[in-house]
Amino acid sequence: MAALPRRIIKETQRLMQEPVPGISAVPSETNARYFHVIVTGPEDSPFEGGLFKLELFLPEDYPMSAPKVRFITKIYHPNIDRLGRICLDILKDKWSPALQIRTVLLSIQALLIGAKPGRPTCKRRSRAVEGE
Amino acid sequence: MEQFESLLTCCVCLDRFRNPKLLPCQHSYCMEPCMDGLVDYVRRQVKCPECRAEHRIPYQGVQGFPTNVTLQRFLELHAQIAGELPDPTAGQVMERCNVCSEKAYCALCAHCDKKVCDDCKSAHMEVLRREIARINNQIRRGVNRLQDILSVVERNTTNLQTNCAAVAGEVDEIHKRLSKALKDRTDFLRNEIDRYLATELRNLTNLKDNLELELSNIQSNCDLADKYMNDDVDWEDTELVDTKEIFLKTVEFLRNFDYEAGDYNRRVRFIMTHDPNQLVLHVASYGELNITQPHTYANSLQPSQGLTRSKSDHRLATQFRQQEDAKGYTENDEPILGGRKFGEKRPPPPERHTRDYGATDDYSGYESEHRPSRRFRSRFVRSHQQDNDSDTEQPSRVVKSENKEKEKEKTVEKRKKKKKCPPPPKPVQPTPQPARRPPTQRQQSEDDEITRLKRQNKGAASSQEPERATQRNTEEERNAITRKPPTPAREASSDGESDESVGTLQRTQRKNSTTIPKPTVATRRPSASETPSTHRPAPRAPSTESSASTESSGSAVKHTGAILTIAELKAKYSPTGLSPKPASRFFSTGNERTTPSTTNGTAGGAQRVQSRFIGSQRPTPAPAPAEQAHEDSDTSSEEETESSEESEEEPAAQRKPESQAMARSDIGPLLARSSNARNDTQENKSKDPPAQSRYRTRQPAPPEEEPASRYGASGSSYSRYGSRPKDDEMTSSIDDDTKYPTARSRYLALKERRNRLARTSPSAYLAARYGSGTGGSELSRSRSSHALKSRESSPERPVTGEKDGAALSSWARYLKNKYGSRGKDRDSSGTSSSTARRLSLGLPLRSANELASSDDDSKNAAGSPISPTAATAAVAGFAAAGSSPRSQYLQKRRLQFSVGSRGSEPGYFTWPRGIAVGPDNTMVVADSSNHRVQVFDMNGIFIKEFGQYGSGEGEFDCLAGVAVNRIGQYIIADRYNHRIQVFDPAGRFLRSFGSQGTGDGKFNYPWGITTDALGFIYVCDKENHRVQVFQSDGTFVGKFGSFGSKLGQLEHPHYIAVSSTNRVLVSDSNNHRIQVFDVNGRVLSSFGEEGSEDGQFKFPRGVAVDDQGYIVVADSGNNRIQIFHPDGTFLRAFGSWGSGDGEFKGLEGIAVMSGGNIIVCDRENHRVQVF
Repeated sequence: MAALPRRIIKETQRLMQEPVPGISAVPSETNARYFHVIVTGPEDSPFEGGLFKLELFLPEDYPMSAPKVRFITKIYHPNIDRLGRICLDILKDKWSPALQIRTVLLSIQALLIGAKPGRPTCKRRSRAVEGE
Repeated sequence: MEQFESLLTCCVCLDRFRNPKLLPCQHSYCMEPCMDGLVDYVRRQVKCPECRAEHRIPYQGVQGFPTNVTLQRFLELHAQIAGELPDPTAGQVMERCNVCSEKAYCALCAHCDKKVCDDCKSAHMEVLRREIARINNQIRRGVNRLQDILSVVERNTTNLQTNCAAVAGEVDEIHKRLSKALKDRTDFLRNEIDRYLATELRNLTNLKDNLELELSNIQSNCDLADKYMNDDVDWEDTELVDTKEIFLKTVEFLRNFDYEAGDYNRRVRFIMTHDPNQLVLHVASYGELNITQPHTYANSLQPSQGLTRSKSDHRLATQFRQQEDAKGYTENDEPILGGRKFGEKRPPPPERHTRDYGATDDYSGYESEHRPSRRFRSRFVRSHQQDNDSDTEQPSRVVKSENKEKEKEKTVEKRKKKKKCPPPPKPVQPTPQPARRPPTQRQQSEDDEITRLKRQNKGAASSQEPERATQRNTEEERNAITRKPPTPAREASSDGESDESVGTLQRTQRKNSTTIPKPTVATRRPSASETPSTHRPAPRAPSTESSASTESSGSAVKHTGAILTIAELKAKYSPTGLSPKPASRFFSTGNERTTPSTTNGTAGGAQRVQSRFIGSQRPTPAPAPAEQAHEDSDTSSEEETESSEESEEEPAAQRKPESQAMARSDIGPLLARSSNARNDTQENKSKDPPAQSRYRTRQPAPPEEEPASRYGASGSSYSRYGSRPKDDEMTSSIDDDTKYPTARSRYLALKERRNRLARTSPSAYLAARYGSGTGGSELSRSRSSHALKSRESSPERPVTGEKDGAALSSWARYLKNKYGSRGKDRDSSGTSSSTARRLSLGLPLRSANELASSDDDSKNAAGSPISPTAATAAVAGFAAAGSSPRSQYLQKRRLQFSVGSRGSEPGYFTWPRGIAVGPDNTMVVADSSNHRVQVFDMNGIFIKEFGQYGSGEGEFDCLAGVAVNRIGQYIIADRYNHRIQVFDPAGRFLRSFGSQGTGDGKFNYPWGITTDALGFIYVCDKENHRVQVFQSDGTFVGKFGSFGSKLGQLEHPHYIAVSSTNRVLVSDSNNHRIQVFDVNGRVLSSFGEEGSEDGQFKFPRGVAVDDQGYIVVADSGNNRIQIFHPDGTFLRAFGSWGSGDGEFKGLEGIAVMSGGNIIVCDRENHRVQVF
């Protein structure tokens, strides 16, 4: 396996040195591209006080392609499906190499604060949320 | 500052900008890899990561975007401010890593020889480190081996040293032995020569004295005759007649006497047993070091050699760190690393060199080129440097290795046996011995009378004789005694002769010993001898002479002559009326004498001789006993016989003349005196004999071996002497007889004296001895005993032509014996032997006895005129026996003749193999590669052949063995046809049996073949390693032997023979031995082992056995013939490699003729040789 790109190393170092409040990302011991991520429920959101586990994997062509992120902890959210897949534009077509792990995680945290009805991962749930 | 920092950071790679390119949206990114990664190649667009604006990519690619120069300036500014080191990768171009395919700044990897990124490179180095560790462990584990080898080498070193020391010791030992042997032999030879010279010189002087004496005597006789032959003296007619006889004889003697210059011209020759050059060669290369197991050494060497260049550069590893950069390493070091210095980078592939790597050196870690210091100085490198050293080392190693090589010595020892030339000693010997006894007796007997006469006439001169005789006797005794010790020494020294010498020694000793007991026998003797004499009438002398002359005609006659002579003599004497009795008596006495001797066996001969001797001698009064002791059995015996005969005959003669005559006849006394004088001289000579006796003992072998030359010479001298001297003596005796015929009393007195004298006076013995031995002595002897001899010997003389002219009956017999046996040897003609036999029939006891004891007797006879008894009885016996195998065999060595050479015509051979003796002593030869059988008569004249190549009846394919059965049928081992064929005596096919196989009655290359008295056929079934036995019709009877080397086992048995005692002898060729079985196949014994010493074999082939049981073996590998006693003990060997006479190149079959001739197939010389 090829060595880790410099950028990943830098990002990891930065994550360790300046953790984002409410977010911890720790690379797996066996695989530096795999991160165990824990996100706390943001304040003023239905998820406040909750701890949500995620997994994050940096693909081979990262940063040219987006990292793969998924909720491990079950969560009821219109943009997150039963399997924890996240419906978030920057993880898909809106990905930009200028984004980083940190920014991605921040975006996810923000997602917890306010669902984005426009693009529900799970229509029913979004409906339900919207319906509520 | 943070801000500033972030402004200088590319947001894609999160690193400081490298070659920032400005997008139209005014965002900047590193050209590589960031901008590259943003390219959408499909749309040829770049989407700005920050503003997501899409820009068309310029034609030249991302490089076409303008560089953000401002940003670059900032970067530089920042670098200056921060004091950062310039980016090492600056100026480098990113490439795809050949391992991980990432774009990166790549450098060449020494491990995989590719351009790889740093990450991959470090990974590779990690791998290398791990591998080194692993290998190191392996080495650790492997070190044990090296230690083992080290210990082995140490062990080898010590072994080598001990081995070399031992070998050196051996060499020294051999050297000592060789030099000692050489020195001993040289000393021995020198001594022998000196001794020979001394004796020969003495003989010559003696001869000279004798001649002078003779001269003076004759002159005095003449004077006397002149003085007394006138009317003044009263002469009886008979006396006158006798006197005339005597003078006639003297005349004849003068006429006939020849000085046999040859006798003393016998030159001593030094004969090397081996070619001196070869000997030197052999000695020069008498041994070589045999280095064994070169391979093992090579093996052991290899490690060491390997080590010359230490492969363990591990040492270096430890030093790696310590070795400092400061030490520059010369370029020499590195051959191992391909000329690089340790840690130096491999020369980059040419293409890559173009780029300036400059900065990348850092990456190379400890191996960077630029660093003067190399941490690890590789051993390998060093080893290269040290090449010189190692090379220098190597030679030393090699040397060591050589040393290590264990040397095994093959010491090819050569022992040199130098044989002295036997001939010279022989002549010497015989002379002294023979001289001793008989002459004294005879001479004395005659001389006595004469001496008395002389005394009467002249006075005291003769009176001394008896004293002299006694003196002589004592001397002789001394000699005899002295003689003994030297002989043993000689035995030891002379190998070749040892056998014979031993025999002779024994004989001599025996004789000496026997002499003592003899007296008793002697007593018998005298009576016998005397009695006949009494019976015989005096007058016969002349007649005997005539008869002798008549007899002398043929050699063949000789033998017969010997006996005949006696018979004739008797007959001659008989005319007087007594003839039959004396003869019978004679024989009877002979028998008596012989019997004791025969009982003793070999010793018997000697004893016999002595007994005879004694008999004759004993009668003599005082001096006689002493003499007896002295007497050498050989000469004395003969002479005794003579003397005895003389005594027989002479007495008669003497009687007639009687004592009166003595007194009367002046001439007689004169003659007697002369004879006495002679005797005296002879006595003197007799003193010499001891030395000679020595020779004799030693030399008997040579004479036997080369009877013709030596003996011939001596014999001829004898004959001459014999004849003439006899004549003289005859005359003298006759004189006596004739002179005093009337006066009986006188005659008797004379007789008595004579007898007495004969016994007592040593001079007579001496004379006799000389007569037999040396010309000079003979002279004296002949003189003294002329009369007797003339009568008896004359017949013999002509017969043998060789031997003793001493024609006495004893001589005759003697000659007969000798010649009888010898004649057989030579001629292998039955005539002599047959006559001898016939004669022997007349003397039944003797013949039998003598047969038994024939060895010694024959030897003696051959060696010298031995004991008279032996001569008479034994000789006859020998003749009768026709073969005294041992002596005969001892004489073997001379080629009699050879038959054939390579070719296919009749009489030629191509690889002759088997040989057999057929009826009438025909030689039947298996002419193997001519596929035929050839038959020759006993003289080697071609008779017939039969057989041709093929597999049909009567055809052969490389036949091997031949045999002839009792009824003359030829039995042939048809080797490649694996069968046996039988032919009738005319060579017509009768039957064949057998085929190839291993079963009973089948053969696998049958080789030797033989039959026994019952007609059973014994076949050596060579490749089946067994012997098969068949009835004469081919019916299988039995088999014995199996493959192996134990007793009773065979490996390639080649030839086979069956003795008359039904012992089966098989030449067990590959076991190098002869095995003896009984007819039932039980092993009785075996003898011989591999080697070239006496009694050893190398691939013995032919084997034969004679009717006495003596075994003859064709020792093929040693190219010699060996003869063994019936019990398998060694008797004799002769022959060597070569193509000359008596030389062989590969022996095959061998056979013995009834006459004792050995015939052998000399394979590679394609001939048959007869010995």
